[in-house]
Amino acid sequence: MTTLPLQGIRVCDLTWIIAGPTATRFLADFGAEVIRVEHGQAVDSIRLGRPIAGDSPTLNNSGFFNYFNRNKKSILLNVRHPGGMEVLKRLIAASDVVVENFSSGVMTSWGLDYPDLKAIKEDIIYCSLSGFGHSGRDRDFVTWGPTAQALCGLTFMSGLPGKPPAGWGYSYMDHTAGYYAAIGIMMALHHRNRTGKGQHIDLSQVEAGIVLTGPSILDKTVNGRSARREGMPPGNRAWEPAVAPHNTYACAGEDRWLAVAVMNDAEWLAMVRAMDSPDWALDERFATNAGRLAHQDELDARIETWTSEFEDYEAMQILQAAGVRAGVCQAPSDRATRDPQLASRDWWHTLPHAEMGECEFDGVVPKLSLTPGTLRTASPLIGEHTHAVMAEVLGMSADEIAEHEAAGVFM
Amino acid sequence: MSGPLAGVRVVELCDELGQLAGKLLADMGAEVIKVEPPGGSPARAVGPFVRDIPGPNRSLNFWYHNTNKRSVVLDLEKDDDRENFRKLAARAEIVIESQAPGYLSGLGLGFEDLSEGNPGLIMCSITPFGQDGPWAQWKSSDLVGLALGGPMRMNGYDPEDAPGAPPIRGHGDQGYNTTCHFAAMGIMAALLHRDATGEGQYIDCAMHEALSCTVEVGMPYWFYKRLDVIRQTGRHAAHRRTEPWLFMARDGRHILCFGVGRDNASWAKVKQWYRSEGFGHQFDDPRFDSPQNRQPGRGNAEAEEIMAETARFIAAHDAEYVYHGGQERDQAWGVVRSPDETLGDQHFWDRGFFVGTRGEGVGEDAVMPGAPYVFSATPWSLRRPAPMLGEHTAEVLAEIG
Repeated sequence: MTTLPLQGIRVCDLTWIIAGPTATRFLADFGAEVIRVEHGQAVDSIRLGRPIAGDSPTLNNSGFFNYFNRNKKSILLNVRHPGGMEVLKRLIAASDVVVENFSSGVMTSWGLDYPDLKAIKEDIIYCSLSGFGHSGRDRDFVTWGPTAQALCGLTFMSGLPGKPPAGWGYSYMDHTAGYYAAIGIMMALHHRNRTGKGQHIDLSQVEAGIVLTGPSILDKTVNGRSARREGMPPGNRAWEPAVAPHNTYACAGEDRWLAVAVMNDAEWLAMVRAMDSPDWALDERFATNAGRLAHQDELDARIETWTSEFEDYEAMQILQAAGVRAGVCQAPSDRATRDPQLASRDWWHTLPHAEMGECEFDGVVPKLSLTPGTLRTASPLIGEHTHAVMAEVLGMSADEIAEHEAAGVFM
Repeated sequence: MSGPLAGVRVVELCDELGQLAGKLLADMGAEVIKVEPPGGSPARAVGPFVRDIPGPNRSLNFWYHNTNKRSVVLDLEKDDDRENFRKLAARAEIVIESQAPGYLSGLGLGFEDLSEGNPGLIMCSITPFGQDGPWAQWKSSDLVGLALGGPMRMNGYDPEDAPGAPPIRGHGDQGYNTTCHFAAMGIMAALLHRDATGEGQYIDCAMHEALSCTVEVGMPYWFYKRLDVIRQTGRHAAHRRTEPWLFMARDGRHILCFGVGRDNASWAKVKQWYRSEGFGHQFDDPRFDSPQNRQPGRGNAEAEEIMAETARFIAAHDAEYVYHGGQERDQAWGVVRSPDETLGDQHFWDRGFFVGTRGEGVGEDAVMPGAPYVFSATPWSLRRPAPMLGEHTAEVLAEIG
């Protein structure tokens, strides 16, 4: 058994949907004991999320849920029952980290703000992940990933000029807010290791998104230039650094695309040679980056005439062999079946799941040489570990567990 | 108060791909020394520039990604400076680099070399494809990374909005950003292991893998249904076409409606709002009472009608009015803002989110985003602006003697 770097860290995981579970997915991959606290009266809707294995959702057959909740445990707890709240407090007392991604205000209504948590466990690390954070005039506003992406500027920055925003076709900011939560929690753990002190991390999903747009904001505050202007966003052409060619080009077949980024004149010359030096490419208008930028429409059309003669992977091979930055716009099926790089790096895994059978997963990034992250168990069935956690973590006797069960605490 | 990483010493040898990883550590208190070649990091040539005049100290992109670092110029092609680099690494807990695989080993500055005598060293290499495999030596960029890793294939247009449109890259170097988020997570996990055991290790962080597991529903649909999701205008990719959720307001800006009245309480509020403004009279029909019927993305006729009426309502109002009015009625809606338009939202100022920096050509504070997280005991802080090229070379060389 390899050592895991977060071994011995217990996380009381009150998260749901995607952002919070993304944070605890990373912590669990690296060995933290992540205990999902779930509620029969208000289940995590991702347990019903598609795709599902089978025809109708059962709470335990969502492939979507399975993807984000591997390596974790699940307990069922009715926190509206006084006995349930008491068990939750015992679990907090036995944990190193409490993490939640409720709307701002839910923990207050439970009487579990940071001072309350600190009273239960002096050195607790509490991470709250909400749309707008726990302070400020709009703290009660609610977001999902797409809302946060719209508000922070990321949706706007994705699209063709003159068209509505293409935005992000998935909750990029649920992933990313989760990554920031995981980074923050581990930084706080390091601080606790050195000082013995815990703290509260108040993470706003929208702010984490704005953090990803810094240069564009500085362009406004220093140069007075808003990103809302003609020609912006520039589709797949470059904003900064301003270089050409830099775009996606249609290849042979239906909806097949190659991305190409030429960063300087030397790379352009390499690309010209890779295309067998056609006459048009030797035109002096294309000899400099400034010229290529000025004649980008014609340049892109010419390149697409070349790429459309090839299958996308073939064109990528030709260009990469010449040292030109090029990559196929890969679909999930492409990465799973045609990507030799992921295959060679042991990226694809399977784990058995009690209801869904053998399930597929992707791997752990980054690769740590001494204490790599691992895939140990598929996602838990709802409440699968209730009794085990009560006994092993909270030290409950069989009688006590039975009493709580009869009282309706574990539902 | 100082950050949670106070006292942690980091040597960073990164270009555009890896520089955010150093910033994430530096902004939380780590002492980050950025080692640059004599001409400066290539990132200094990335615009926009102060008043559009290029120069090594005028890149706003560089300013943003290199806060709280010191800059030391070393020519690693020369023996003396390689020795200086070894000395820096010898007293560091962490080295972060984003050079081509094998480059540093070839100079005698690989992990094996640097960890000899410093067994606690954590070294993180950030590359497009990782240290091995058939593509390891391929070149990449943010665009190419987002293409191969999968995010682009999720973003795009309905055919009626942009016929034949390609997959679309979201801007802001998000491929580099995601890679650095994983680098920081890996480094922190390794640092916690080091706290417990004193042991260091090597970290291989690949953009291709970081992006491949950051496309949400994309992989699960392949794993469980052997389907590739299709891209759609301004909304989630799905296995079949779903209702639009992006609508243009009267002032030409867009509103993103992530569902309307998902639960009964918020449905009652939004219904009342529509009615008070002369919209949505058809919603008294009991078939709209069921949250299941109202859920978009499932082919429900009711959801389709609600979205159509919502589009009419939004077209008759300005975007910020719709956003605030919707949120006050518990609707998870947002305005599609440009990044700079977030500066006008007082909520973020209430939280002290925006901060000021300075640099060549800018005498007063230039406002930019600050902390991605608010730590109660050891907060994010801006202790120094991004360094000028080689600003700290003499100072740091004196420290290492």
